[in-house]
Order: sequence, then C-alpha cells, then structure tokens
Amino acid sequence: MRLSTILQHRFLVSIFAFLFFAQYTFAGVFEGGDATKGETLFKQNCASCHSVDGSLLAAPSLQGIDSRWAGKDALIVKWIQNPNGALATGDPYIVGMVAKWKGQFGMMAAQAVSEGDIKDIIAYVKTGGSAGGPKASDAPKCLTLEEIEAAKAELEGDDSGYVWFIIIGLILSIIAVSAANIKKSLATAVNERDGLPAPADRTYMQVAKAWMWTNKKFVGVLGFIIFCYISVVGYKSLMGIGVYQGYTPDQPIWFSHAIHACQNEIDCQYCHSSAAKSKHAGIPSVNVCMNCHKGIKKGAISGTKEISKIYEAIGFDADSSKYIDGYAQKPIAWNKVHNLPDHVYFSHQQHVTVGQIDCKQCHGPVQMYSVGHVATPAEINAQEDVTGLIKLEKETLTMGWCLECHNKAGIDPTKSDYYEEMHKRYKSNEVGKRTLSEIMEDGSMTVRENGGWECGKCHY
Amino acid sequence: MIHKKYLFVAVIAGTVILSSCTESEQAPGLEYMPDMYRSPALEAYIDYGSNKHMDLTQEEKDELGVVPVLSRLPVDGTVPFMGSNEMAQFAMPYPLNNTVEDYERSATEIKSPLLPTKTNVERGKEIYAHMCMHCHGKEGHGDGAISKNGHIAGIPDYATKLKELQAGKMYHTITYGKGLMGQHASQLNQLERWQVISYVQCLQQGVSTPEYDANNMLKLKVEAAAADTTK
Repeated sequence: MRLSTILQHRFLVSIFAFLFFAQYTFAGVFEGGDATKGETLFKQNCASCHSVDGSLLAAPSLQGIDSRWAGKDALIVKWIQNPNGALATGDPYIVGMVAKWKGQFGMMAAQAVSEGDIKDIIAYVKTGGSAGGPKASDAPKCLTLEEIEAAKAELEGDDSGYVWFIIIGLILSIIAVSAANIKKSLATAVNERDGLPAPADRTYMQVAKAWMWTNKKFVGVLGFIIFCYISVVGYKSLMGIGVYQGYTPDQPIWFSHAIHACQNEIDCQYCHSSAAKSKHAGIPSVNVCMNCHKGIKKGAISGTKEISKIYEAIGFDADSSKYIDGYAQKPIAWNKVHNLPDHVYFSHQQHVTVGQIDCKQCHGPVQMYSVGHVATPAEINAQEDVTGLIKLEKETLTMGWCLECHNKAGIDPTKSDYYEEMHKRYKSNEVGKRTLSEIMEDGSMTVRENGGWECGKCHY
Repeated sequence: MIHKKYLFVAVIAGTVILSSCTESEQAPGLEYMPDMYRSPALEAYIDYGSNKHMDLTQEEKDELGVVPVLSRLPVDGTVPFMGSNEMAQFAMPYPLNNTVEDYERSATEIKSPLLPTKTNVERGKEIYAHMCMHCHGKEGHGDGAISKNGHIAGIPDYATKLKELQAGKMYHTITYGKGLMGQHASQLNQLERWQVISYVQCLQQGVSTPEYDANNMLKLKVEAAAADTTK
C-alpha cells in the first residue's frame, strides 16, 4: 500500500510537472506572441476584412478571439490556413460561425501564415490595435488636417454681417421717429401752457425739407456719398451679371476636396467619372461614396457626423455593416457650383478626352480647397503643377474667358484620332491645303483656327 | 481749407464702407435673363426646384403635379447603346449573381473578350490611374495613399497574394465588389473593366510599364482571351 501511495504521489507530481512545463513548451497560439510583429502581419493579411476594435468591416471583428476560440489552438490555426478543411472537421463552433456570417461576407480565403505568425497576430489583436487609426498624409503639397479644420471653422463662423446693419438701421429710424413725435408733443404742451397756439401740423416731408434747408452742407455731402455709392454698386453689379467667380455655396455634406483629392490622391475622374464620357462631369452618386466609406466610417476632422449623412441617404447601418432592406433612399441635394446658361453648349468630354485639358486649367487648384468653388483667374494662373497651363485674364466662366483660351490653346492632332478626319479633309483639295499651310505658318493650330471662335460652335 | 480735405476723405471712406457689404460667397451673382439659364427641356444637374420639393408629403407632391427629377435610373431591361454592333457585346447583362458560389464560378466561366493589344492595355493603364491607384498603389502593391494614410489597411498585393487571381474573378469583383472593395460597375463600363484587367494582369507579373511586339501585342504572357472579338 505504502509503495503504491508513493508511486501514486510521484505519478501526480509528474503530471503536475508536465503540465507546468507544458505551458512553456507546448503553449497554444493565444499566449506569448510578439504584438509588434503581429501588427505588420495583421495589416498585410487580415486588415482588409477584419478589425480589432469590435467594428464590422467585411468580416467579423477579431476582438475577443482568444476567449471565443479558447482551447481550440490547433483548430484556429487550421481555420486560418485552410478554412474549408477546418469546416469539414464539423466542429460546431466553426459550423455555427460560417452559417452566421457566410451570407453577408462570404467565405474566408486561406491565408499563407505560419503558426508562429498567428501567435503574433493574436498578440496584436489582444492589444486592441492601440496604434491604428487614420493619420495625416505627410505629403508637403497638401494642406494639413489642422489647416483644413481652421478653414472649416472660418467657413462656419462666416455669418452675413449686413443683416445686422439693416437691423441697427431699422432700430435707429424707429428711435428717430419716436423722438420726433415726443419733441412735437412736448412743443405742443409747452405752447399750451404759455397760452400760445399749437405749432403748425406739418407732415414728415415738410419737416424733412425744412431740416434739409437748414443743414444744406451736410445734406449735400451725404447726397454725394449716396450718389457715389449707387454708382459704384450699380457699376459693379452690372459688370457682375453672369460672373460666378468665387461662388462657394454651402453643401449638404461638408465634403473636403483637400482630404480626398490631395491627401488620399483620389483622381478627379474617380468620382466625376462621366467627365471623359459625357457633357457633364457628374456628381457622384452615393454608391461611389460607399466604395470607400463602407470601410472608412470615421473622418479625420468631422468624425462620424458628415459620413453618417451618406449612410442616412443610402440606408446603411454602420454597426452591422449592412444595407438596410427596403430603405427609402434619399438623394443628397448638392448645390451646383459651376453653371453655364442654357444657350451655351459645353461638353466636358470634348475638353477632357479630345483636348486632353487638365481639370485644373478651368477649375483651379481644387485639391487645395475643401468646398468646391468657382476659381478666379488669379488662383488658376498661380498653379505650378499643371503642364502647359494657359494663363487667362478674363473672369472665369464668362464668354470672354472661353474665347481667350480658344485663341491661345494649341491643338495637338496626335493626341486624339478625332483630328484625323479633319486633317484628311484639309488635305483632300487645293483650298484646304492652302488654308492648312496658312494656319500652320506659326507652327501650331489654335482652337480658334479650327473654328473655335465660330458662334455656332457653342451657340446653337 | 482743412475742412474740405476732411469732407473729401469722408466721401471716399463712406463710399468704400457702404459698397463693401454687397458680395457674398453664398450667392452665385446676377443672371443675365434668368429664363435663358433653365431650358424648358430638362437638362441634367439643373435645379428646377425639385430640391425644394424633396421634403413634401406624397399628397402635396400629387397636388403639385409632375416634379422634375433629373437623376433617374435607366428603365429596367434596357441595354445601353455602345456605338456599333461590335461594341454591343459590352452592353450585355452579366450572367452571374453577387453570391459566393458565383464568385467561384466566375474564375472559369468568365473570360476576357479582349486581346492584350497595346490600345487595350494602355487604356487600361489610364483607367487604373483614375480608378484603382489611390488604394492599390502605383505598382499594384496595395500601397496607395488611402492605405498609407491608414484608412484602409491590408490591401492585397497583385504580384504576391493575388498573383494567381483569374481574370474572371477580377471582373466579378469590379462588377459586384468584394470585401471592403465596392462595386465599380457604375463608374466603368464593361469594356473599361476588361481593359483595366488587362493592365492588372501585367501588374500581377510585376510589370508596370508593359512592352509590346511588332504587332502591337503585349509581350508578356497573360491568361488567354475567350476569342478575338474586337476585330
């Protein structure tokens, strides 16, 4: 008995010892990984679908993975390396998980990571991704986030001051009228006491006239100021008819071109994709916003405030990363910034595809501003990053401006086969040949020489 | 005399102060003949007042009659006209659905109708710069600005992780989206999708400036097209 007890004890001790050391020698994937290495691996292999902070991207979050998969070390390695193989084992957790998520996100692809890698990734997941999140681009050519934020604050604080002038003016005139009335009743009362007849009942007009006669000099100066004012304002407003320079309307969503086009280097034609194909450059429909904002749910400046307006328009639930079924979608009513009268025909396609004109030639440095606006010639001419920039002086979006550019812009027939036919027709007869040689005397053909100044080219 | 100088200064200052409060960035400015700006025939992106009507109830809308709505979807079942009979194949509906099974099927069932000619690949390169580069990166390593700025991480590299990805699966992904990538069917027509795929196939082999032979065909060997349908 004694011997067996001793043996039993030794057996137990050895089991304990085995378990004690096993922690170090056969530890599972949930302990002892390197979080720094894991972060790199996570970003390379997992981050395009999984988050670590509990939010849904294109797959369930990895947050809490160590408790959900506790005790299934070998299985999680198998699941990551070969999901279909792991599913075939029939493990109830995996089967349940696939049934729950496959419909929404599809099946996970096999990942080429070793067991050691998985250990590191899990170590990173357990840190909760402390060092993640959006950060500002370090490209020097762009505005910094602080500058964009300052510009936004300025825009929001910009209330129309002239309303206050009108209010103050109204208050002052009310005071003046009541003061005049009080003066009159006082004068009547004084006359009554002294037994004199009440002062003659004069109209306001008569009072004003009398006052003006007694203060001729002041009235003269004031009249001159008002005359100058009316002349200047009248001249300016007449000259401003049909000129939209500097028009910067508030938009329903505070969208920043500085963040999208400059920091994140999204090409103009990604969102305005019809510029190369149609008359209109196009305002992107909400599904284009969702191409990125399905995953990017928080902005660097406005947080979720502005992005949630997209979700509200299209009916997207950010928490479950799902489109809401049967949602009554609401259009976003953007304000049109660049407008041409109906009696002028302008086609983006002609300028972008055939003429190969840079967007910035007409729209200015849009990537340096948040809210879109009609650029002024000064802004357009100051750009240094546009090859072959034509410097123009006339007001933007006026006919003079169009003509100025058509007169200066040269045509490069090699850029587009659109010109091939034209070239062929010039060469087909003697008159054409002579015209062509006249045009090409100075070595280039401008848009004007190709009919760009004909009325019917744009007005028909 | 000093008196007159003051008067002159006062006149100038008064004029400047009074005239400085007339311009606002919120107002577009005066229109020359407003009715010449809005044509009776409906034009896209012109506000005919429909924005004002958005918050109205259905009864109020019925009372008003027709409210012009300018951004409409094409009528169901219509096929866009692509300019010629040869181009009609790019207007046909895509046979697969947005499901996991159909994604797998696309690998074998969907083949490119385009030959890797210089025109196609170079146009694909242009489209890639407009449509893909900000996420997938200049050389397709998944290191575009959006990825570098930490907005979307883990965009796979064409040359390693997606080296074996078939053209059909790419087409399916552009059409319907996959994972965090959205669907780009509204921005790229079918021809453009195949053109950009022909360039991405070069990036899969690590080539970002493809070379062409004497017949203007791509020198690189890529997955074969279904048939020569463009000639």
